[in-house]
Amino acid sequence: MTETRIGRRAALWGAAGLTTFAIGGKAFGQGAPVVFGALPPLTGAGGPYGPAMLRAIQQVVEEANAAGGIRGRQIRVVAEDDQTNPDAGVRGARKLIDVDRVSALMGTWASSVTTAVAPLCWENRIPLFTVSGADSITLLPHQGFIFRTQPNSRLQIATGADFLIRQGARRIFHLAAQSPFAQSSQDTLVEKMRGVQGGAVTGYIVYERDKTAFRSEVDQIMRSRSDTVFLNGYLPDVTILLRELFRAGFDGRRFTPAYAVNQSTFQTLPNDVTNGVITWQPSPDVDSGAFRRLQTRFGNVEVDPYSAQTNDHATLAILAAAAAGDAGGVAIRDNVRRISAGDGERVDNVTDGLRALAAGRAINFEGASGPVDFDERGDIRGTKFRYERANNGRFELMELR
Amino acid sequence: MESYLVAMLVFAGLYALMALGLNVIWGLAGMVNLGLVGFFAVGAYASALLTTKQFWPMPLGWAAGAAVAAAAGAVMAVIVARLRGDYLAIVTLGFAEVIRLVASNEIWLTNGTDGISGIPGPWRGAVTPQQFNLIFLGIVWAAVALAFLLCARVSHSPFGRVLRAVREDQDVAAVAGKPVLWFKVRAFCLGAAVVGFAGALYAHYNAYIAPDGFAPLLTIYIVLALTAGGVGAMRGAIIGALVVVLLLEGTRFLAQAIPGVTPVQKAALRESIIALSLILLLRFRPQGLIPERTRTKARP
Repeated sequence: MTETRIGRRAALWGAAGLTTFAIGGKAFGQGAPVVFGALPPLTGAGGPYGPAMLRAIQQVVEEANAAGGIRGRQIRVVAEDDQTNPDAGVRGARKLIDVDRVSALMGTWASSVTTAVAPLCWENRIPLFTVSGADSITLLPHQGFIFRTQPNSRLQIATGADFLIRQGARRIFHLAAQSPFAQSSQDTLVEKMRGVQGGAVTGYIVYERDKTAFRSEVDQIMRSRSDTVFLNGYLPDVTILLRELFRAGFDGRRFTPAYAVNQSTFQTLPNDVTNGVITWQPSPDVDSGAFRRLQTRFGNVEVDPYSAQTNDHATLAILAAAAAGDAGGVAIRDNVRRISAGDGERVDNVTDGLRALAAGRAINFEGASGPVDFDERGDIRGTKFRYERANNGRFELMELR
Repeated sequence: MESYLVAMLVFAGLYALMALGLNVIWGLAGMVNLGLVGFFAVGAYASALLTTKQFWPMPLGWAAGAAVAAAAGAVMAVIVARLRGDYLAIVTLGFAEVIRLVASNEIWLTNGTDGISGIPGPWRGAVTPQQFNLIFLGIVWAAVALAFLLCARVSHSPFGRVLRAVREDQDVAAVAGKPVLWFKVRAFCLGAAVVGFAGALYAHYNAYIAPDGFAPLLTIYIVLALTAGGVGAMRGAIIGALVVVLLLEGTRFLAQAIPGVTPVQKAALRESIIALSLILLLRFRPQGLIPERTRTKARP
């Protein structure tokens, strides 16, 4: 009995010692390379997106290293999993900032993780590049350290509402999963519909996203005589909603964010149910050189908007550091706008950008997710939106603008 | 590096506080409480709301966090008075989910899933982030020391002995003339208060709380901490919390040190190591690293 106990303790001390050694090794190991931290969701609710987001970052860094790095300094990416959980995200960010001494953090996905990690970034004076959409993020007192490549939810809803109005929608029923966007979506939608002759939001219900039946919600939609229902939810609940709306015989427009309906919806539901569903999403600039390069590197598979954005995160950070001649967090923050907007030479990849900067020319980086111009709050300007209609198990492009 | 270690020790301290609270409810009174993170959330929200909206001073906010959590604990104890074992576990798990859902839907109060940001911290902004970390380290571990002394005292007092009697067989305790429900309510109150206090400290350390942060995962970590340390032993709770944080953070470096492991594999590997260690622990050392020792057992 006693012997086992000593064995256990020894094992514990051994583990402690090993960890300390590993930690110490890392601390002494850092020298010349510039280190960037990636904090994508590799597990948890964001798990389906994180790995591709990380791959996009790594590929940009490999390309930059092949092109000579940041003024001769190689770049290293250290990734930690945020587990789509603010608590784990904060611990991961602490490790990246304090142990790896990263000069920029990129790729946070969930809004709650971004909001939790943001104070660490501005306190330690390093920029945070994020794909989170909640409006509140760029309203934090971040001193310019947050750059968001995702249009905020207000812009997304406003653009979506404009599209619906163009399509002739007048009576819209808003059904939203509980999320940071639900209420702000509703406010924006009401404001937009008020500006149209005969326009009205005929109903607004917030539901819990884990629900499995929506009888009463669907009844209310039917009763409201709406010509359009806006399903502002996520994949599992929107799938159920589409089925129940079909059963109830709803024949109006069904409008939903693109992440809520995808190929797996087509596999779950018959085409009769999904035909005519309209989706919209902030679109990567699919005709841009940057996007095509990313697609080639991914092996010509579908590239999701988040990977397009993290591709731009890494490129922006590298080019900003190269333009500043300094890989510190503050230098990157101060130079992001210099290399992403203005009249400089247009570049769409990190190699050309580094070359132009080395030759002393000003550049304007146009990314895979769009033109990546930031306003003074760190929000993105001028993203394109893509509208698609489901038809027999495929999406048909309706509009891209 | 130093500030990272300090930050992790702060987390370990918070986990130790929660483990101590759980130990009173589970270890002493034998009531499986998987609603731990619910009490943690209640404490965090109470203190965050009172200090940001009512501008209460921080220490008062922390006390209020503990008090509100204690009240929630008392209500909970009465509700689950007749439940034991699995049934109790499920109900308490449900309680934590209810708290999380209320926090994400009562937007007027909790700001919904956006969460509450800009929660003040002691001298935050006036000192460097490193100094703030150190200050908080002191506060958290002082709280751990205090909670430890309190819980250890309780554990060896007549009150603690009755709780153990309730744990072993509540009918016998009742026959011996002990008002079982009243003891359970008080145990729940005390445990929940300690957990709520930890929640309040967490809110002010992180400066931001949101319903997402109070997922059942945290409860699992604390149960793991207590199982590792030894259910029933107060020292075990603290050791267990340190072990859990060492495990959570150490696996980052261990997995990173293995060549050829991609970050995605590393993330999966970390979760498996943590799960595996819990299974191994339960299999080979169910009594924990520091088993509970009572005076009667010490002298056979």
